[in-house]
Amino acid sequence: MPSRILILAVGNPLRSDDGVAWYAADLLCRRLSPDEAEIIFVHQLMPELAERVSQTDGAIFLDARRDGQPGKIVQTSVIQGAEDMCSAHMLTPAQLTALSYALFGNRPEAFEVSVTGYSFAHGEELSQIVKNALPQLVGTAVRLTKQIQRDHRENGAGSMAASA
Amino acid sequence: MADSRTIVIDPVTRIEGHSKITLYLDEYGKVEDARFHVTQFRGFEKFWEGRPFYEMPSLMARICGICPVSHLIASAKACDALLAVKIPPTAEKLRRIINIAQVVQSHALSLFHLSSPDLLLGMDSDPAESNLFGVIAKNPQLARDGIALRKFGQQIIERLGGKRIHPAWVVPGGVSEPLSIEDRDAILKTVPEALAIAVRSLEWLKNTAERFHEEISVFGNFPSLFMSIVKQDGGLTFYDGDICFVDETGEKVASHLDPTRYFEYLGEKVEPWSYLKSAYYLRRGFPEGIYRVGPLARLNICSQCGTPLANQALAEFHELQPNAVLSSFHYHQARLVEILYCVERIEQLLNDPEILSKHVRAIANPNASDGVGAAEAPRGTLFHHYKIDEHGLIKWVNLIIATGQNNLAMNRSILQVAQHYVHGEKLTRGMLNRVEAVIRAYDPCLSCSTHALGQMPLQVQLIDRAGNIVDEVCRS
Repeated sequence: MPSRILILAVGNPLRSDDGVAWYAADLLCRRLSPDEAEIIFVHQLMPELAERVSQTDGAIFLDARRDGQPGKIVQTSVIQGAEDMCSAHMLTPAQLTALSYALFGNRPEAFEVSVTGYSFAHGEELSQIVKNALPQLVGTAVRLTKQIQRDHRENGAGSMAASA
Repeated sequence: MADSRTIVIDPVTRIEGHSKITLYLDEYGKVEDARFHVTQFRGFEKFWEGRPFYEMPSLMARICGICPVSHLIASAKACDALLAVKIPPTAEKLRRIINIAQVVQSHALSLFHLSSPDLLLGMDSDPAESNLFGVIAKNPQLARDGIALRKFGQQIIERLGGKRIHPAWVVPGGVSEPLSIEDRDAILKTVPEALAIAVRSLEWLKNTAERFHEEISVFGNFPSLFMSIVKQDGGLTFYDGDICFVDETGEKVASHLDPTRYFEYLGEKVEPWSYLKSAYYLRRGFPEGIYRVGPLARLNICSQCGTPLANQALAEFHELQPNAVLSSFHYHQARLVEILYCVERIEQLLNDPEILSKHVRAIANPNASDGVGAAEAPRGTLFHHYKIDEHGLIKWVNLIIATGQNNLAMNRSILQVAQHYVHGEKLTRGMLNRVEAVIRAYDPCLSCSTHALGQMPLQVQLIDRAGNIVDEVCRS
């Protein structure tokens, strides 16, 4: 049985580099078949996504970030937690995976891959520096997808967290 | 107020938008006045001037990420008036479905995500635990039910409108695409679960409310008018009908008013301490013309829902207090009655033989220079009023939003709660929680009503008679 990978592209494509994940997700739709990964586009992470996340073997969150050197890509394992949530309609990946576990009893392997943006002004174009980082962002998402699949195939669910 | 004492709550949490509360104390340390300040501003009425009128539904939906569909509906109805067309019956039914689907998801957000921590964990609980995880720890089924009801509403919006937030499917003259048989059947399959959740949630709330007698007695429990759109036969509606006002005895003060003539009976007052305007009933003046809108008002005004389970729930709701239900605490139960109605009504509409008709849009050029659209949004009656020039470009926009219409009542409710619970110069957790909780009962959407973006943190300041801040609490 193929592993179930969910890629969540988070951002607002009307705010320049904040939409970088959506651009990456567009490219990923051409690189990955629906059997390999389900790709969804969201403005923000909502509690309603918890069930969907719980039904996967791995979740990859793509997003833009404000801090750091523009164009720099950071990959982190999502550590379940951050249960001090206040907002009910804007969650972090850690809160969403925690919710997924608390409500539906499953916490998939989860990674966040983010790119530091240069401009978050109104506009539908990426800045050049973030545009240049797009292939690496897509490549990282593809590599993680394959990695989760391989790990799931070889070791069963649950081992990635330990190795990440 | 130079010689008063004041408490300020800033920001107010778990609501939609940014605000703060100021409580003024008299010389004995008792609360003598309260103000709910909305501290954000957007200006939607101004910056659409010069845009083509047919863009308005999609542009106006950008006011809010929670209730964009309400703005779509009111805006499209205003544009229908500019076209001077009667939209096809199927388009109207499809608009009704998407409108009440949004009521379900918005009410579910308010009750299950924002207010259920207060109800489940108690008003004195630690704010750090008063969130969805706190609800999960205490009652995981309730948390799952809230999420499922949200999903129910959202999937309908997504199937009809193409996306959950800011769908552009509702257009002047109707809707842009007919409903497919696959989407109809897929939605119908989800109805039984939504209905079951609504029924058990209502039972849960009725049982839970028994622990809150004190809060019920002081959470906005005062005489006022209530206003909503209602069907001519007294039935509950979210799409069209006449405007009706009832008073605290349940008697009609004015009925069969034309929603498009709102300016003849509604006034708006600007206060220097808030970006949120206060609406009032013109014939009673300001502030005696205080009225409430939203679920509590709708259920106080309507005599029946028109669906079996909701009718039964409405009859029980009317038993809560004699004559009209005055306590704003009961907004919560009213929301669940309405959710029940909406789910039942969605099923009825989807089973209508006309619902799959391909004729869903009337095409016309502008035939009028002035158009008003009114509908019931989750939080109350919503008015959009546009004027266009000979080229169809917007010259003037006026929006009257539900939260603004509840502004006077929210201020009075905060005062009532504060006078009951606040004593002395020190703010306590329980007092603060209750002041916030009474605001949440109204489910204010400040994004819409100030035409602002974001969540609503809370700030409370306590100010003494000399104007000094003696205590201040901020939550973000």
